[in-house]
Amino acid sequence: MVERTPILNILTHAILLIGLVMLLLPLWIVFVASTHDFRTVNTVPMPLWPGTHMVENYIATWNQSDFGPKMLNSLIMAVGVTVGKITIAALSAYSIVYFRYRFRMVFFWLIFITLMLPLEVRIVPTYAVAANALRPYQEIINLTGLSIVLPEWRLLNSYAGLILPLIATATGTFLYRQFFLTVPEELLEAAKMDGTGPLRFFWDILLPLSKTNMAALATIMFVYAWNQYLWPLLVITDPNYGTAVMQLQRIVPGPNFGEPPRWHTAMAGTLMVMLPPLLVVIFMQRWFVRGLISQDK
Amino acid sequence: MSGKRVTFNQRWLAGLLILPQLLLIFTFFYWPTGEALFWAFTLEPPFGGEMQWVGWQNFTTVFEDPLFWNSVRRSIVFGVASTAIAMGIGLLLALFVDRQLPGYKGFRFVYFWPYAVAAPAVGLAFRFIFAPDAGFVSAINQWFPNLWNPALDGVDAMILIILANAWSMVAYNFIFFLAGLQSIPRSLIEAGAMDGSGVLRRMRDIQLPLMAPTVFFLIVINITDSFVNAFGIVDITTGGGPARATDLMVFKIFADGFKGKDYSLAAAQSIVLMLLVCALTFVQFRYVERRIHYT
Amino acid sequence: MLNKRLIGAAFGAAALFAAGTADAQAPARQRFDYWYGLTGQLGERMAEHCARFNASQTRFEAVCVGQGGYDRAEQNTIAAYRARQHPTIVQIYDAGTVNFMLSGVTYNAVTFARDFNMNINWADYFPGVASYYATSRGEMWSFPYNSSTAMLYWNRQAFGSIGRTEAPATWEQLERDMRALRAAGHACPMAIDFDIWQFEQLSAIHNQPIATQNNGYSGLNAELLFNRGFLPSHIANMKRWYDEGLMRIQTAQTGKTLVQAFADGSCALTITSIANHGVVGSTAARGMEWGVAMLPVYEGTARQNSLVGGASLWVMQGKSRGEYEAAAAFLDWIATPDEVRWMPSVTGYIPITTPAFNAMTAAGFYRQPQYEGREISIQSLTFTPPSANSRGIRLGNYTSIRSELQSELQAAFTGQKPVQQALDDAVARGNQILRRFEQTMRGRELP
Repeated sequence: MVERTPILNILTHAILLIGLVMLLLPLWIVFVASTHDFRTVNTVPMPLWPGTHMVENYIATWNQSDFGPKMLNSLIMAVGVTVGKITIAALSAYSIVYFRYRFRMVFFWLIFITLMLPLEVRIVPTYAVAANALRPYQEIINLTGLSIVLPEWRLLNSYAGLILPLIATATGTFLYRQFFLTVPEELLEAAKMDGTGPLRFFWDILLPLSKTNMAALATIMFVYAWNQYLWPLLVITDPNYGTAVMQLQRIVPGPNFGEPPRWHTAMAGTLMVMLPPLLVVIFMQRWFVRGLISQDK
Repeated sequence: MSGKRVTFNQRWLAGLLILPQLLLIFTFFYWPTGEALFWAFTLEPPFGGEMQWVGWQNFTTVFEDPLFWNSVRRSIVFGVASTAIAMGIGLLLALFVDRQLPGYKGFRFVYFWPYAVAAPAVGLAFRFIFAPDAGFVSAINQWFPNLWNPALDGVDAMILIILANAWSMVAYNFIFFLAGLQSIPRSLIEAGAMDGSGVLRRMRDIQLPLMAPTVFFLIVINITDSFVNAFGIVDITTGGGPARATDLMVFKIFADGFKGKDYSLAAAQSIVLMLLVCALTFVQFRYVERRIHYT
Repeated sequence: MLNKRLIGAAFGAAALFAAGTADAQAPARQRFDYWYGLTGQLGERMAEHCARFNASQTRFEAVCVGQGGYDRAEQNTIAAYRARQHPTIVQIYDAGTVNFMLSGVTYNAVTFARDFNMNINWADYFPGVASYYATSRGEMWSFPYNSSTAMLYWNRQAFGSIGRTEAPATWEQLERDMRALRAAGHACPMAIDFDIWQFEQLSAIHNQPIATQNNGYSGLNAELLFNRGFLPSHIANMKRWYDEGLMRIQTAQTGKTLVQAFADGSCALTITSIANHGVVGSTAARGMEWGVAMLPVYEGTARQNSLVGGASLWVMQGKSRGEYEAAAAFLDWIATPDEVRWMPSVTGYIPITTPAFNAMTAAGFYRQPQYEGREISIQSLTFTPPSANSRGIRLGNYTSIRSELQSELQAAFTGQKPVQQALDDAVARGNQILRRFEQTMRGRELP
């Protein structure tokens, strides 16, 4: 498609450039701050060009915060949440959109409402459940008067404890539902005419169609899980299970101690913690943009 | 709002498919929420032990507290403003990137980045950048002393957290708007061009209307995320201050419940918050989605 | 219930036995969990302290976990206790003392020391340290650990430029010096923030109560007195000085905390904890000369001792005998003279016992340049025997009261309301918090 719109093109580039600066400047400042020593970072005005202390800041932060194992834990958590979430969201959205049964809308609302109430506001009860994930069921059994004693399933200080409560949200289900609703009706009609069963339809037709959504959801979930910090801080007390973002919080002193924040190492840590999700975003982007473009051209 | 016209009818399979999700949300959402509801009608000692049933006392305390209504107002300002900014900029950038002029891939590539940054990191970065004594914006104060001071001026503090949240949400909105725009068949746009409508006109008449489902989805996500992100950002940048100017609801609930060890008061407030957000979303669903055509 | 415990005990014994046989050469160390709240440089010192303990003997192992802040350490302990996953020892800040005293889930220090034959001589602790963590009958319920008090930090060079060689001892002198500094071109004579701790300290040294019922020691029905007597006039003075540009607000939100603003030389005076002495020392601008002094009093006031701040160690109930033995060994070890001396040598915290302080003084610790002046904090803390107004503060959910007061002070200093009204509002809200606490704790009495 060839159109001549020179003024509009200049305007387009100007807007895109302004957007670029707006979005990148904070990251640039974080990077610059991570390359200076303590005193330089705290001078006014702060330098806007990188300094010479980058390598030492990064090495110091890496060792101090024990980032090796912490990054691994973050990775396990993020991948666990991503895979679990995609599986569960696709299945439940499929059930809600492609089947008709009495409690369908009830279930949808039950799931949808979980979007509303962030983990932060119900963290104590959630934490109590995490001490024994089977407790609700135990109490229900107790109510019925049966004397069955379930074993205790402790989620504290475990990967399951990091992962499961984070999967119990509706983002993915909602996304998949929106996507399934846009899939043409004719597909299912044709499939039914061919005698395709629900599982095959799901696996052979819907899932391949939803690759884009899956890539998007995987990116969202990976970033979401990697960046969690309040929940890991509560559910993990054993340093062997600590995550990278938890560590980050520790290299920035709290307000209690009047200690000046060591911005240079804190910013170095921020960048290192940021990097894995950033790489995922960059990698997944190429992949899923290709998927997007090939659809309609 | 409905599902498909044609559906499968194996009910047992439908149940089986949805079971894992239901079990998870029951265990980690509804049960804990129910417990919070119970607390809202009792006085719960921090370390447990015998609790007292106090009926509606916690709710009356909450509703009679001007600071609670203060935090409701602040949350609405924060949520609406940061959603509007983030969606506006996200849509604008997506529309222009979608023109696919030379170099657009580079822009698209970079616009994604902020999305990967954790809320506490965004908070830290913005606190540093916008600090009146250090960082980037302090230069303003050298020309106009005391023009910018989020530590003392409530309006400045609110602007700071809105910008921080909007910055972190722009990328997310951009991703979804761009995905939405690129799923519009090019033939449609070419047809518009053939009819003689210009680029801006096509954006308004063809692309924007087709973005309605995306807009709806993003409004829901942005508003709820503004409640979630609020905690990480406020906790790290302003701590709810100055003088409660940024005392957003989620932060207040956390502060009352955990810092203040008054679980019952926090529980009552979170029940109110939950009802408020549910009502909001319900309205969006009933009246907004109904007017949107999925094609 | 009983059955479960028996089975648990049997399994435990079997596990112990198995562990014993499997690793006969090197018997497994008895572990116990210890959670601390300090972060940053001070948090690293905590981790180091644990490592030193683990290296000092072979029977026990402290598993030490930083919780990312004093408030988080308290919150997490509460949440963990509810899930029965709590640590054996936890570091709790001064302001959390009442909550733990009334929790009914702690193992009080005196009883614990007796039950596990610890070598603590309670009389060794400085009286001001002991009284903060003791019941109204004088029994200590937690083990004092990192302790501090508030000091006036002053920049000798800045003061030299106005011809002074001494720190101001009274607020009247301080006002005079601030004016002189301002006249001499110092943009920020004094850095302040809204940390309520300084006002508690000032009330103590002026021998003024901040709440009825002996600052809460005599009953949960105490009411706040922040809005009467000494504090309103002092805060009104501060507001006046702030409006005149003699004081500047420096908080983490403005980009520089007051410690930082003092250390980089931009503010000539500030009030902060002696714990920051080491931090100022290691971050001060090159060549800067500075010192610490006791907090100023108003003229015509008889100075009282200042309050102890920092944190103490609480032992929690519901752990095994082995864990308690390990915890007792740790608590004994940190109270040995060597370790009491170690803490002040790597942080700004004070030695908490009289013998340790005397030994350190005798050994010339306070003559070393990097520690010079820290002994003044002990003078401040022990200036007089503690009175009813200077032995401590015992108010429920006190951290919430502090933050109410802090918000109202912010409102006052930004001109949203007069100081007196801000204090009245804060007291009204603070009293509500106290009443809710009293109601929640119905049936429990302060020990």
